[in-house]
Amino acid sequence: MSSTSSRPRGHGRLNWAPYALLTPAVAILLAALAYPVGWQLYTSTLKFGLAQQFGQPADFIGLSNYTELLSDPQIWSVIGRSLLFCFINAVLTVTIGVALALLMQAVTKAVRITLQVGLLLAWAMPVVTSMTVWVWLFNWHFGLVNWFLTKLGLPFTNHNWLEQPSSFYAIATAIVVWMSVPFVAFSVYAGLTQVSTEVMEAAQLDGALGHRRFTQIVLPLIRPVLMIVLLLQIIWDLRVFTQIQLLQDAGAPTASTDLLGTYIYRLGVGSSNFGLAAAMSVFVLILTVLLSAPYVRSLLKEDVV
Amino acid sequence: MKRTKRAVALAAVATAAALALSACSSDNQPNPSDSPTAQNITLWLAGGDTPDSLRDWLKSEYNSRTGGVLTIEEQAWGDLVTKLTTSLPDANNTPDVVELGNTQSPTFTNVGAFSDISDLYTELGGANLLQSFVAAGAVDGKNYALPYYFGSRYMFYRKDIYAAAGVAQPTTLEEFNQAVLRLTQVNPNGIADFSGFFIGGQDWRNGISWIFANGGDLAQKENGQWVMTLSDPNTIKGLQQLQDIFQNASKAPSTAKDESPWLYINDSDSTTDKAADGTETDLPTSLAAATIMAPGWAHWSIGDLVTVDGKPARQWNDDVFGVFALPGADGQPAPVFAGGSNIGVSAASRNQEGARELLRIIFSADYQRMLGEQGLGPANSLYVDSLGSDQFAQALIASAANSKLTPAAPGWAGIEGSKLMEEFFSKIAQGGDVVALAAEYDDVLTPMLNQR
Repeated sequence: MSSTSSRPRGHGRLNWAPYALLTPAVAILLAALAYPVGWQLYTSTLKFGLAQQFGQPADFIGLSNYTELLSDPQIWSVIGRSLLFCFINAVLTVTIGVALALLMQAVTKAVRITLQVGLLLAWAMPVVTSMTVWVWLFNWHFGLVNWFLTKLGLPFTNHNWLEQPSSFYAIATAIVVWMSVPFVAFSVYAGLTQVSTEVMEAAQLDGALGHRRFTQIVLPLIRPVLMIVLLLQIIWDLRVFTQIQLLQDAGAPTASTDLLGTYIYRLGVGSSNFGLAAAMSVFVLILTVLLSAPYVRSLLKEDVV
Repeated sequence: MKRTKRAVALAAVATAAALALSACSSDNQPNPSDSPTAQNITLWLAGGDTPDSLRDWLKSEYNSRTGGVLTIEEQAWGDLVTKLTTSLPDANNTPDVVELGNTQSPTFTNVGAFSDISDLYTELGGANLLQSFVAAGAVDGKNYALPYYFGSRYMFYRKDIYAAAGVAQPTTLEEFNQAVLRLTQVNPNGIADFSGFFIGGQDWRNGISWIFANGGDLAQKENGQWVMTLSDPNTIKGLQQLQDIFQNASKAPSTAKDESPWLYINDSDSTTDKAADGTETDLPTSLAAATIMAPGWAHWSIGDLVTVDGKPARQWNDDVFGVFALPGADGQPAPVFAGGSNIGVSAASRNQEGARELLRIIFSADYQRMLGEQGLGPANSLYVDSLGSDQFAQALIASAANSKLTPAAPGWAGIEGSKLMEEFFSKIAQGGDVVALAAEYDDVLTPMLNQR
């Protein structure tokens, strides 16, 4: 604080202004977050089925929903798949995003604007719209991808991409990465523009080569941005829902391709077991907190410095 | 602002009408919207089965009878259960009248999603209504949901391909199973991945016909509890025949459902493939199946490609296409899945009177006949003759004769919503061990059957 106020503030006096300013934000958070989370916690202790949805009283069953969940082997394979999917996607997204950001810095203005417009279009495209196109691309009978691969002489006539979980996840990964790369690319590009040219010139004069300038100067400088986008990607990719659901609607087998989001949806809204689904969501909330805790801690540390 | 003014005016009229009504009747009607006068209501129809001409008629008829506006919203069959689950309990979001699958009807009826319409039952057709569907919408002798239409599935086949392969129209189930195998092997037109019978691996609604035709069943009620019977020897026999078809007669993906199979039986518009040297070859892109199983109204989508009013349309061609009901083991029509819908009034709806008036319109002789003329089986048996007597009507009536419903268990809609039946059938289509899979899914599904 470099304020030159003539009235130095006494330490004992309570200043209400910050609290007054915080109140609306806290109120909105409470209304938008506390109520649903509270309801979720409460429902997860009930036997809540379709009859309860239509107004019949629900029985309190304590932690039975949780014990039922944790003893189900299917749940653990869904959790394992979701974690793997989330890490692979987050890392791929950030890697490709950084590469594109560096590319944007290196090319001429015209090329950069073309690139940025392309990225923005992918980012702005409504998910359902682009998913429809993706599903058509990979249609087993009429799909462009099969047609093209067949033209190249490969045995892909009527190949069904959604049948095997491995190729299902490959397509899902391509779609999710395609949709989230623009965000990373723009964030990192913004970070790169903050790296001062003096520092880079000095490094160049000192004889640092391109890759050393990147790893030892640029990377540390944009590290806060990278940390945040990676954290956001991990959280988003853990909760991925629409893309998986729409691919499943296109015919993919559900049990072997379910991730956390679609699994909860099918458990709750699909087969009307809302109590169990609520317990599962609470579990995912805990998982998200555990996953992001180390990142948040190190982010906080950097903020203090 | 115009809307607000109109709404105020409407409310005023409704209030006045309600006051007038309560003045001359002993009924106490505190809520003005209980009056049928100009209630604006919403009807949910499932899928595209009800043609546009019928929808338009319903709207104008409702408007001329009540002065209110009927809005029709179409819901996809695939997520109908989830939509009903989230919307029906909520008075602010509920549609007033809903169509739902006959197999989903017991679940929602049991939890109290619909208004009791027993007092209307006789007026709407009573004993003339299709009784198996009435039962699917009744609890303890009270009627909550009534049949909307029925339509069972039958076979569409390519006469030209059957003839070229030297295969006659089958007359028993065994003959059918052999015929489609042979058609696949002979493949007279030399088409890549040709199916004698195109049936998707997740298509359990058509697939269960083989279970029923062999005397098997999906579930039974024992001592007041529902139990899955996939491991029953007759069910297993049907599933094994089906697996043989999935593996050796159908090239449909194991992930395909029962959506638009007619794409594969039409010749379709051929795409022109231009080679590097300038020669052009026409490739038939679609024809990939000699037989499909579909609801009767699919015949509007099958035939030669013609142009009507500048738009491509299908014209049925008797030389190329034919229909028959799936034959059973004894040569009689096989018990196929009895498709069709029920219709009910949402219990949470604030427009009960308008909704009841819409039911009167739907069950009127005029509308029942219109359903029949479009190939949808009318709910009221008095009007079944409106289906006509052409080959489609005959196949529909023959296939419906022995048709069967899925279990009327309280949890059946939940099983449909969970997509576990799709999963079970696709595992069979992929060549899984039928006996082991049946035992596995019996264990998974039985608790869900009894879940309320």
